[in-house]
Amino acid sequence: MPINCKSSCGKKAVLKRPKTGDALCKECFFAAFEAEIHHTIISSNLFRRGEKVAVAASGGKDSTVLAHVLKLLNETHDYGLELVLLSIDEGITGYRDDSLETVKQNRDDYQMALKILSYEELYGWTMDRIVAQIGRSNNCTFCGVFRRQALDRGAKQLGVDSIATGHNADDIAETVLMNILRGDTARLRRCTDIKTGGGDDTIPRVKPLKYSYEKEIVMYAHYKKLVYFSTECVFAPNAYRGHARAFLKDLEKVRPSVIMDIIHSGEQLRFKDSVKKPVRGVCARCGFVSSQQPCKACVLLEGLNRGLPKLGIGKKSKGDRMIANQDREIALRERANLVKNDF
Amino acid sequence: MCTIGEDDFGDEGAAHAMVPESSDSGPIMGGTCTKCGVESEFVYQLKFRTAECKGCFLSYARHKFRANLGASKALPKNAEVLLVVDGSAESLVLLDMLHYAQTQNTFKRLHCNARVLIIDERALREQPDDDKSLFAILQELRIRYIPFEFYVIQLGSSLNDLQKLDEYVPKYGTNELCSTLVKLRSLTARQDYLHQQRKIFIASVAHKLNCGHVFEPSISTTLATQLLTAIALGRGGSAALDVGLQDDRLHSGVKLLRPLKDLNEQEVQFYVDAQKLKPFMSAQQYGVKCGKGASLQNLTHAFVANLQQNYASTVSTVFRTGDKIAQNQQLPQALTKLELGKSDAPSMPFVCVHCLSPLDCALSDTLLAIEYSRAVSKAGTKCFAADELETKAKQQLTVERTLCHACRNIQAEFSDDSRL
Repeated sequence: MPINCKSSCGKKAVLKRPKTGDALCKECFFAAFEAEIHHTIISSNLFRRGEKVAVAASGGKDSTVLAHVLKLLNETHDYGLELVLLSIDEGITGYRDDSLETVKQNRDDYQMALKILSYEELYGWTMDRIVAQIGRSNNCTFCGVFRRQALDRGAKQLGVDSIATGHNADDIAETVLMNILRGDTARLRRCTDIKTGGGDDTIPRVKPLKYSYEKEIVMYAHYKKLVYFSTECVFAPNAYRGHARAFLKDLEKVRPSVIMDIIHSGEQLRFKDSVKKPVRGVCARCGFVSSQQPCKACVLLEGLNRGLPKLGIGKKSKGDRMIANQDREIALRERANLVKNDF
Repeated sequence: MCTIGEDDFGDEGAAHAMVPESSDSGPIMGGTCTKCGVESEFVYQLKFRTAECKGCFLSYARHKFRANLGASKALPKNAEVLLVVDGSAESLVLLDMLHYAQTQNTFKRLHCNARVLIIDERALREQPDDDKSLFAILQELRIRYIPFEFYVIQLGSSLNDLQKLDEYVPKYGTNELCSTLVKLRSLTARQDYLHQQRKIFIASVAHKLNCGHVFEPSISTTLATQLLTAIALGRGGSAALDVGLQDDRLHSGVKLLRPLKDLNEQEVQFYVDAQKLKPFMSAQQYGVKCGKGASLQNLTHAFVANLQQNYASTVSTVFRTGDKIAQNQQLPQALTKLELGKSDAPSMPFVCVHCLSPLDCALSDTLLAIEYSRAVSKAGTKCFAADELETKAKQQLTVERTLCHACRNIQAEFSDDSRL
């Protein structure tokens, strides 16, 4: 038997919202979904009038919906924001090249400026070449670290006031679980924050979709007929996050509201005074935000350029030993060359 | 867009730290103890430790128990202690350790007066155990652990029914607790309700027996499960007390202590083997038989069991994470500020009337977002001002103002108008 829309608009419901269990018709769902994001933006003071905001766009469902909704809300509620799309080209053939086409389509559809920054121009490496050197394991470490810094670099080039990312409620709940599983208290403290960064030397990042369920984002994109790219990355067998994700999906089947409950729990967590807090600083080499010296991106890049790709993977002491060994070998070789030249 | 804040680990995370491990249990036949150098019939080899003889292993395991109580100074001298024995291996290990600590010479003796409580939970089980064999086992235990006094009571019954083991006559039939459980729609809510009620019940028995401290036999694996369960249930603000050495939320000032919290499953198994203990009841919780997909608790339990089997170090990491968290103290103070302007401020409790955790609803943006979603779903395309909807959502948040978020979830599961 068809169910009526919860809002008593008289229409038949087409979906059941996982967050609240309410059955809604298409129009009421659109209105509710957009109103919630508007409420999140207003109540958390994510933007100020006149700001320039970069929407981190990958061409996937989250960033496509984010760009669409931000543009819509900016017009309807007159936020007075200048929105631009910022994409990172990691150089993954068969994946990013196709998804960037989707972003370009979004640029035309939403009439927003688009800036594409590539790993090639920033670091001199593409992910294809990185994977060719290090193999399939740990490649996501390089991609993730470089992408986060590339976003900062792109934002600086564009002169924006903040970067809006498409992290949804599922992503945040999953990250809470994952940080507990690996005992990462530093990230556990900040992973539920709706706004991160924003000191004197950093550009803040905001998550307007923090309270939007992944399922609702997919439904919104589907019913709005938005163009998005839904292929998995060709290099992405994601072991660790996969564990947390599978667990969360199982939990969600039992009680759909568990996602919000986990975010709530993550926000309420406090730590003993004895637990070390990371100090946010700036990398002495590249000048971008980091809590260690040098930053992870610089260490990984140094590893690639030295021909020691495992340099930034695992313990720092191991990396230091690798550098010392290589320096010793180079010194030996140079001495041998000198001897040869003497002859 | 599915990764956040993983600068060090990348999407693959600490996969290198999550290496499948093999588990081995039980002593090895014959060998030399690397600690005392004596040749013995059996040696015990724990993960990350060398083989030890029975004596050295027992003193190592017992030291963990004593160190926990000693370092924290949580147990005052000559305290009255109530030890809850549920027949599980862990509870028997705790009983044995406590008994040993009491029988040592004056210098090393643990100065406290212990009583043992056995909670008869058979009313909740579908198939009651055989009375005679159970009581024969309990009598055997009582004789082995003289001079401890053993008390028995049925879970949820009146405190007047508390009896010594020798005088105990089991009563059959359901009580109020059983009938309340039936009214809760989901197993998740039933298990959470039972967990809270059990704690309240133990505290009231401890108070009746003039015991200020209760020993609970939770080990690291149980506490890792407990932490993840608390997170999934929305009890993050008070999770530190659910997994820490001491939980001081209980009624009548009773304090719950978990002196075995640093022991792992392998150590418990070895201890049971070394001391020839006979666990007589699996520590199976209510509803576990319904399968792993039946509740959040069962799922978490199965998830941790799987980790324990394949990635035991990850379970230990989860437990260590639990060791680093603290209770959210900001909640009551923040509430005080909010409530000051209202006439009923002095009478407002700052802790949940059910679980005694700090109230966490009024200040949470996430909970406001859920209520806002409800309000907005109801409004649909009808034009409401955002402020109006937010006011409605805020009102909803104060409907059950005496309950914390997780207990509100239990309350919402009642099929009738029962109140917590």
